[in-house]
Amino acid sequence: MQPLEFSHYSDPLDLLRRFIQTPMKATYRLDGARVGVETNDCALLPELPLDADLTGPCALEWKLIRDADSPGLLEPPMFLTSATLTVVAMGTACLLGLDHETHKLFAFIGTDIDAPTFREYLVPFLCRMTKDVLSGDPIGCFVSWSHNSAHV
Amino acid sequence: MEIIVDPRLDTAAKRPAYFRGNGHLVFGFLPPGSFITYDLLRKYVRAVLSTEAASDDSFWNTLLIPITIGIVGTTVGVVPLHCACLERNGNGLLIAGDSGVGKSTLSAALTMRGLALISDDWTYFSKEQSTLVAHGLFSPIKLLPDAVQFFQELRELTPAISLNGEIAYEVDPARFVGSQVKNASRPSWIFFLERTSDPGCHFVSCPPASIREFFEKNAERLPDELVDAKALRTTIIRTLSVLPSWILRTGESPQRTSEAIDHFILETKYATA
Repeated sequence: MQPLEFSHYSDPLDLLRRFIQTPMKATYRLDGARVGVETNDCALLPELPLDADLTGPCALEWKLIRDADSPGLLEPPMFLTSATLTVVAMGTACLLGLDHETHKLFAFIGTDIDAPTFREYLVPFLCRMTKDVLSGDPIGCFVSWSHNSAHV
Repeated sequence: MEIIVDPRLDTAAKRPAYFRGNGHLVFGFLPPGSFITYDLLRKYVRAVLSTEAASDDSFWNTLLIPITIGIVGTTVGVVPLHCACLERNGNGLLIAGDSGVGKSTLSAALTMRGLALISDDWTYFSKEQSTLVAHGLFSPIKLLPDAVQFFQELRELTPAISLNGEIAYEVDPARFVGSQVKNASRPSWIFFLERTSDPGCHFVSCPPASIREFFEKNAERLPDELVDAKALRTTIIRTLSVLPSWILRTGESPQRTSEAIDHFILETKYATA
């Protein structure tokens, strides 16, 4: 499959890039759960078992955004977790957030993340987060950063 | 808002400010070595700071607090709009206009005429009962390198790369020829600044619809799920739109333009008194 040509996104009124279009969609079956994936780069559609049943809601939705302006390679992950949210930063090359209540996961993935890295590291990582949140233990396997906490 | 200080981040890779968002979630890196997340629906902010960042006043005053208010503000009753705000005798004067038109340079010139500076770039609006209040954050005035031709004081300073990547002088307004700085004002007038090659300063009355259109077109796009935030911003812009407003077309220096504004305000006040 040919990768989509995506260009640098520029909208002065969308500096956070919330409105990047993700027109490519697929639905997968992950440990019995339906997982919807949408992306702006077909290279980010994971090689997981597709779900033949096209009806019904997804248990969890992934939005994977290829970000042409996020350079660099993956760095060791840093987790910020709370009862409702898990955020993981692997440098600017990959930032991802998972809302435990809405069951929506989104990730910005830089252009330097190649197919093997995506397939062999990121997809298993996303699957693990998905399974954890669907099993009701979204932060079970992550170390929460909780030292020297101060509420302002 | 929860702040965590973690010494492990003191050795984190150096990177510039970098933010991304989706729906109600926003997160990003802030130098030096810090990471912050915003949950705009649940109104929750969580940050992990390096000890270097946590102990640096400048980090709090010029990065963490302004960026946090800019991102979270609209969801908690404070709407950021792209305009400068100054004050004369209790009356707030807003200066709007496209990026690069010279709002900051004109603001600096107005402060030299004795107006107090609230903000030169982003002003934060709230409603207290039915009254609109414009807030500033004591942020530095950002002047582009060509401003040196109008302000001799800048010759002693060196421009640097600012947060948005522009090269600019960032000057403390209180130290910049002793400008007076205030943190809030009640807006009374709006001027939309336009540069022309024709000499002189010309004031043209501006209808409310044009004011609404300008601020709505220049406001950050917000996701649909932030219903209350979008509604609040619309209300604030509508309230602003009924203020006396003029398009100011100027081909003059910031100093001459500021003088013209000062005289125009005085004449308008006497005319309406």
